[in-house]
Amino acid sequence: MKRRDLLKAGGLAGILAAGQFPLIKGVFAQDRYAKYRGQTVVMSVPSHPHYDAMTKILPDFTAETGIKVELDKMSLARIKDKQLLEMAKPQGDYDLACYVVMWKTEYVKKNLVEPLEPFFQNQALADPNYDMDDIVKGYLEVQGLVGGPKTYLPGPGAKLYGLPYGSETSILAYRKDIFEKHGFKAPQTYDDLQKLLAPLKAKSGIGALSSRGQSGHQCVHAWLLHLNPLGGEVFDANWNPVFNSQAGIDALKLLKEISDTGPAGIPSYGQGETINAFLQGQAAMYLDSILIMGLVNDPEKSKIVGQVGYALHPKGVRYASQSGGLGLTMPKNSKNKDAAFLLLQWLTSKAADFKVTMAGGNAIRMSTLNNPDILKKYPDFAILKEQLKYVEPDWRPIIAEWDEINIQALGIGISEALTGKKSPEEALNGIVPKVTDIMKRGGYLKA
Amino acid sequence: MTDAGGAAMTINSRSNSRTAWFFILPAVIIMLAACLYPVISAARLGFYDWSMGTPWSQAKWTGWTSFEIVFTDPAVWRSLWTTLKFAAVSVSAEMFLGIALALALEGNIRGMAFFRTLFILPMMVAPIAVGLTWRYLFDAQFGLINALLAVFDVAAKGWLADETLAFAAIIIADIWQWTPFVFIMVIAGLSSVDSTVLEAARIDGARWWTVTRRVKLPMIAHVLAITLVMRLIDAFRVLEVIYVLTFGGPGDSTEVLSMYIYKTAFIGQRLGSASAISVLLLAVVMFLTWLALRMSNPLDDENGQ
Repeated sequence: MKRRDLLKAGGLAGILAAGQFPLIKGVFAQDRYAKYRGQTVVMSVPSHPHYDAMTKILPDFTAETGIKVELDKMSLARIKDKQLLEMAKPQGDYDLACYVVMWKTEYVKKNLVEPLEPFFQNQALADPNYDMDDIVKGYLEVQGLVGGPKTYLPGPGAKLYGLPYGSETSILAYRKDIFEKHGFKAPQTYDDLQKLLAPLKAKSGIGALSSRGQSGHQCVHAWLLHLNPLGGEVFDANWNPVFNSQAGIDALKLLKEISDTGPAGIPSYGQGETINAFLQGQAAMYLDSILIMGLVNDPEKSKIVGQVGYALHPKGVRYASQSGGLGLTMPKNSKNKDAAFLLLQWLTSKAADFKVTMAGGNAIRMSTLNNPDILKKYPDFAILKEQLKYVEPDWRPIIAEWDEINIQALGIGISEALTGKKSPEEALNGIVPKVTDIMKRGGYLKA
Repeated sequence: MTDAGGAAMTINSRSNSRTAWFFILPAVIIMLAACLYPVISAARLGFYDWSMGTPWSQAKWTGWTSFEIVFTDPAVWRSLWTTLKFAAVSVSAEMFLGIALALALEGNIRGMAFFRTLFILPMMVAPIAVGLTWRYLFDAQFGLINALLAVFDVAAKGWLADETLAFAAIIIADIWQWTPFVFIMVIAGLSSVDSTVLEAARIDGARWWTVTRRVKLPMIAHVLAITLVMRLIDAFRVLEVIYVLTFGGPGDSTEVLSMYIYKTAFIGQRLGSASAISVLLLAVVMFLTWLALRMSNPLDDENGQ
């Protein structure tokens, strides 16, 4: 099935059509905003570099539209509980909410968020030049769609509930100086990567690859980074756990090797420690979120300014880089839905995406990545553009039960393999009964 | 009630008793609203399957199922065992160190006011900040603890990456934060000990250790019991520091019961089961409190028993 078919099947035909047929294009910008002048849109957003960049461009929105924006900013760790409480009220305080991709099915299942399609079809609100096709395909699908046959991917029944905003993928960053000095090449395949780990550590005297490893979500994230390119899956087509397949075991063995040849303490590393170990010169490689690209050349945070090169996330049996990060959705109990939509549309438009990227945020549009000014400011985005072709929307099963499987089952077993308490086979086989129970409880498997 | 108080009661009429009730009623109502209602409400939640963000009308009655799960879920018993080990080691160490510090710093030693203030600083720090501070201190690459160990030629350790060391780490952080509480309670108790009794003991030829063991500590036994109970209750409820420091890992080696309750409620979205486990935690803490109070009931003397 081609992408266009998928999107049509997912109910996005109207949105795309709006961009194609001039007759049903939306109204002129000034008219669009006039009715909502003076209204205030309240956003629930996390403390996150992308949303810090957004804060810088919001005054432009207010100046252009007369709509005010109020931010309720809190840490990502606390934001979901607050959003659930707010969105469960008859009328809530939030008009737009930033969500981690893993929460999307839960929010939809609980009937807490609005489908966006009716807004994009509303001629009085829709921007005729919006161009949905320009948004990175993998980002749009993984962040926005809920309700397809697999519940979290495109297909019949899938609807758009959110837009990517702060989305990210994975990329390989490496120390050019160290690689040049010892005659190493950036690994292109997983074979290359595995063969490189021990000699790189031995010759460079620092950790080979920095990686997450803390119990729970963090170590699962690290394992998924390798599981996907190695051809593994968490569930088969019938929701039976298959993460203990050979690919799953190989991914965990590799992660253990990465931990053993990496900077000290990987089994306790969250994302912060992983990034820090690389930025402070304690590891020669980094294979994780593109967040790193905005940090390596900041002399306040990095000791490796100007010494970092980028390469594609290595290929296993296929290319498959992470899909995830943050998006924006509209709570069902929002008081100012139209104004909220106008802000959402404005933020994810071509012009604002360019601005937020220039301000240090994550681009979601190909037009932004093709922009010469962007490439001049961030020359490394050339490789990012290439990487975005390989964003894997089915990178992890984003079902409502994923949090529990992720943190309370896989997150414990994988952590035990990293500390050496269990072998990779023992660890993964040991989790299967628990995950099966969760899937039975969720109604995916027969009890 | 003292004798004088008892006499007063017989003299006073019933209206006085009503007046007394009138004055304590607001406090009683606030206590009931603040303590009893949440407990009953949590216990009630244990009988339902309800997920946050959905209307209460969608909650499903599950009867005793959640409570049955408490007894069959191995993770509950494993995390309870982890909690018991954590509480036993950390509270014993805090009591020992707190008492020792208080005995060393009691009396009018010059400059001690400054040190007393300094010692109680850790307990004023927010638990999340304590967790973050220790996370950096225990960092395998850049942590101060490994830097100090290096001075003594001890190899760097991945403190939070090893099951045993991570368990030690959460205990060390707890001892650092809560020994001051024991210290402040004991030093307050010691200052109330009648100096004439101590003087009499010394005149009888008792040395420092004998005075401490036979006179001072028994005289503040009530304070010690209350301190022990409060620390035990807190140790059983510990969550924030572990959340930040290890998130229960590596594996599930530092997953105490409250961490498991948190994960069950907010990650597994099984609020009914989480409530049922909370009731178990409450029962354990109440039993320990009762036990400690029985050992030395501060109200005994006043009741003349």
